[in-house]
Amino acid sequence: MGMPGRVDDHQWSQQHLSHYVEGELRPRARRRLDRHARECVDCGRGIRAMRALVHAVQGLDGIAGVRAPATIFDRVRLAGAGGSPSSQNT
Amino acid sequence: MPPPPGKRAPDPAETEASLLARAQAGDVSAFEHLSGAYADRLFMLLRRLLGDRSEAEDVAQEVMLRAWQGIARFQGQSSYFTWLYRIAVNEASRALEKKARQPAAASIGAYELQLPASPAHDPSWQAENSELRRALGHALAQLPPTLRTAIVLRDVEGLSTQQAAEIAGVSQAAFKSRLHQARLRVRAAIGDQTLVTTGG
Repeated sequence: MGMPGRVDDHQWSQQHLSHYVEGELRPRARRRLDRHARECVDCGRGIRAMRALVHAVQGLDGIAGVRAPATIFDRVRLAGAGGSPSSQNT
Repeated sequence: MPPPPGKRAPDPAETEASLLARAQAGDVSAFEHLSGAYADRLFMLLRRLLGDRSEAEDVAQEVMLRAWQGIARFQGQSSYFTWLYRIAVNEASRALEKKARQPAAASIGAYELQLPASPAHDPSWQAENSELRRALGHALAQLPPTLRTAIVLRDVEGLSTQQAAEIAGVSQAAFKSRLHQARLRVRAAIGDQTLVTTGG
């Protein structure tokens, strides 16, 4: 993480929005991003966008409840007929 | 499927450690019982990583075969779930790389990626939500396998960073870097305005 007041605050903030949302920034770095975002419309919106993205991806549950196919162990059964797993090649 | 002669049926209360020991000794029924506890979740992971159902079915069979072939060497340094998921991620990556080398690379089907329904069931919200869903599905499908795996394990599956990193086979720092890269790319692909207005 860069030090507050150094390099370009805007570029640095844009690169660390995910870390910010994840709560991974150290207090000093978090204050740096907070300070910049208060004055920067793009970064303020960027924080909201990153939070919305994480929320939306967490909601990708369209295939929740899908059951594994009954055939999932077919190859194991075929291989198992040939002996113990330790005697087989991987 | 009844156990073969000489093999006893698993007791529902049998512990994972006991099933593992029997599976390592060559008991297919015990292996099925042990791995079957994670089969649905593992298949959902493969659907999310690969998109295509028939390919996920094929890879799921391969994952179980690899696990069976390697179970004698499983030392218990991670949980059995983590070990099995790691095999699944490796096999999915292999399948995605193979597909990427083919002329017409298929992508994750956006139809499979659905956001929760709005409590208000507002038609305009539903339309915007549907647009966001398609955009997310497309953006995730465009990610390289390592980045897609990171965002699926952490954000979709909800695993901890430590567990997801272990499954991906990288350090936690490397995993976080992949996750942040994935999020930045998806954000750039969808656009802040769309995310803020429809995703919040």
